Amino acid sequence: MLQRILIVDDEERFRTTLGKRLSERGLDVETVGSGEEALKIVKEKLFDVIILDVKMPGMDGIETLTELKKINPNIEVLLLTGHASVDSAVDGMRLGAYDYLMKPCEIEVLMEKINGAYDIKAGRDDRIRQAEIRRLVDRSPS
Amino acid sequence: MKDLYLMALAGQHSYKGLKRYIVILLCLAAGLPLGIIGGTIYYQYQNSLTQGVTNQLKTICQQHKEAIERFLVETSSALRVVTQLETLEGITRKDALQKSFNILQREFNHAFEDLGVIDASGFHVAYVGPYDLLGKNYSNTAWFRETLERKIFISDVFLGFRQVPHFIIAVARGSGKEAWIMRATVNAAKFGSIVENVRLGRTGEAFIVSKEGFFQTRSRTGGQVMEQVKSKSLDLSFFEGVKFWRVKDEAGREVLRAKAWMRSNTWLLVVQQDVDDAFGELYATRNMAILIFFLGACLIGVVTFFTTRLLVRKIELLDKARTSLDEQLIQSQKLASIGELSAGIAHEINNPLAVIGEEAGWIQDILKRDSLKDLKELDEFKDSLREIAQQAGRCKEITHKLLSFARKMESVIKDVDLNKLIEDVLAMRERDAAYSNIDLVKQFHPNLPMIYSDPSLLRQVLLNLVNNAMDAIQKGGKITVATDIGEGDSVEIRVNDTGSGIPQENLSKIFDPFFTTKPPGKGTGLGLSICHGIIEKLGGSISVASQVGKGTTFSIKLPLENAKGAI
Repeated sequence: MLQRILIVDDEERFRTTLGKRLSERGLDVETVGSGEEALKIVKEKLFDVIILDVKMPGMDGIETLTELKKINPNIEVLLLTGHASVDSAVDGMRLGAYDYLMKPCEIEVLMEKINGAYDIKAGRDDRIRQAEIRRLVDRSPS
Repeated sequence: MKDLYLMALAGQHSYKGLKRYIVILLCLAAGLPLGIIGGTIYYQYQNSLTQGVTNQLKTICQQHKEAIERFLVETSSALRVVTQLETLEGITRKDALQKSFNILQREFNHAFEDLGVIDASGFHVAYVGPYDLLGKNYSNTAWFRETLERKIFISDVFLGFRQVPHFIIAVARGSGKEAWIMRATVNAAKFGSIVENVRLGRTGEAFIVSKEGFFQTRSRTGGQVMEQVKSKSLDLSFFEGVKFWRVKDEAGREVLRAKAWMRSNTWLLVVQQDVDDAFGELYATRNMAILIFFLGACLIGVVTFFTTRLLVRKIELLDKARTSLDEQLIQSQKLASIGELSAGIAHEINNPLAVIGEEAGWIQDILKRDSLKDLKELDEFKDSLREIAQQAGRCKEITHKLLSFARKMESVIKDVDLNKLIEDVLAMRERDAAYSNIDLVKQFHPNLPMIYSDPSLLRQVLLNLVNNAMDAIQKGGKITVATDIGEGDSVEIRVNDTGSGIPQENLSKIFDPFFTTKPPGKGTGLGLSICHGIIEKLGGSISVASQVGKGTTFSIKLPLENAKGAI
């Protein structure tokens, strides 16, 4: 199954090119230019991992993260920090982000992180599914 | 005071001016009152001395006037008594006259030269004395006629038959043919001794001048008896009582003079003294005062000079201290502003850099496609793109370091055991050090107090310094990290290496951002400026000492508690 990725970054050329590169690596990629758009699209489509720029005009990464987690706590979020403010990245991780990366980053490193995030998400989805199955089995008359 | 301050501000060359200014000011302030006091005292003293001299001269004048008048009155009275007691017949007996003469001489201390009796026709009928004057006729002389007329006569000093200065006192008795005159001669020299004996200092004297201007007694300062008074400065006009003058004669000699008219205003008694002589004491006092003033002024001058020199030196030192403080301030301000600027630039560059990286990565991705496998210049493309990616990565490195240099540090301040912290840092580098054959030596103060600071920032600084030390040594050497208790409430950390050392010209720039001696691409030149920034934020200071070929020592001084408070 294709990993569904959403890239949220205000720098248009960055997000589209990164999107193309990730698609090239076999991922299903969508890109949006702001936190507001991200919140909108998340309500419409399902994603496994969201790559979220911390520093954006309007809603910044941390705010967007908070709202995203409210909409769907099951999505894993990778933070991209444009500057060395590790502090906000750490804040973001406290709020439930999977990890952070400093921009610009190596595509291999990014892929690793995406895979890590996806594995967690997939593992959790798996456990949720199994739990659902157990619940259904428990309920079914034996 | 404002002037002084401005002059001090004007810089090095004005210290001399400042010194001169203070010296002149202080000398004036001290010397002026000294001069005024000295002058006032001298003036007062001169006044009272003048008063004293004036009074003295006047008193002498008055006393001698009285003495002379008394002498004249007494002698003429005595003669008169004799004439009253005797008759012409009686007195012309030689013995009788001799007897009277002897009595008079005894009574008047031998003031008389001779004594004679002259009858009505002018013949000298009896005489006692050294000259042969018997039989001389005086009927034609002015004094003879005057004596008969007035009964008593005192002459001015004259030479007469004998050619010796003298004056006569004549008393007449009876009238017409019965009249006779008793005449006594007073030796002018002897008479003169009454006034000539007056001695005042060196030049003080008294003499008598007739109203016609002839000396009646000798003057020590030029003027024999009977001589005309040469000096025009002696005013012979008439006045009452005793008067005082201060006059200057033709020769420029200044004299103090008291005068009094006597003997029915025909003789003028003069008592005088040279000003120089009278005020000799004053001049000595004045000279002494001037000497004291001069010595005092010298003393004030010397003391002022040395005090001022000390003062100006102190100011100079203070200025130097302030200048170095200013330099430190400028240095940290420079670092701060460079930090802000760098952060701004780094931030703006970071996004384009990310785009470049991604674009290059995208082309690399495309080139991996099978359809492009046969592209002739594939290797060239790949090589070029790798370079682009690498250089973008290098830029990223720089911007990240810049940002970390400028970023606002969120410090966690807590108790820090420095020895433990350093041990941890050294442990991190132990393996690399061993590879390079570098000894890591710890010289810890065993009782180092805990400090209240930020451990992670300190760790960053120490790691940086140790890394630098290892870079400086390259292979084979020693790094010594020492801790110590510093002055006041502070601790000190010293990181010493036996590496290549830092040339003098680089020492001052070593904490500047982007200053590096490493080849391009090997170092950003931000490490030490970040260290500097951190240590300053922690309220401490960092300094460096180095000798080329021998090694370098970085010293960090940290307060026990961060005095700056919030970071």
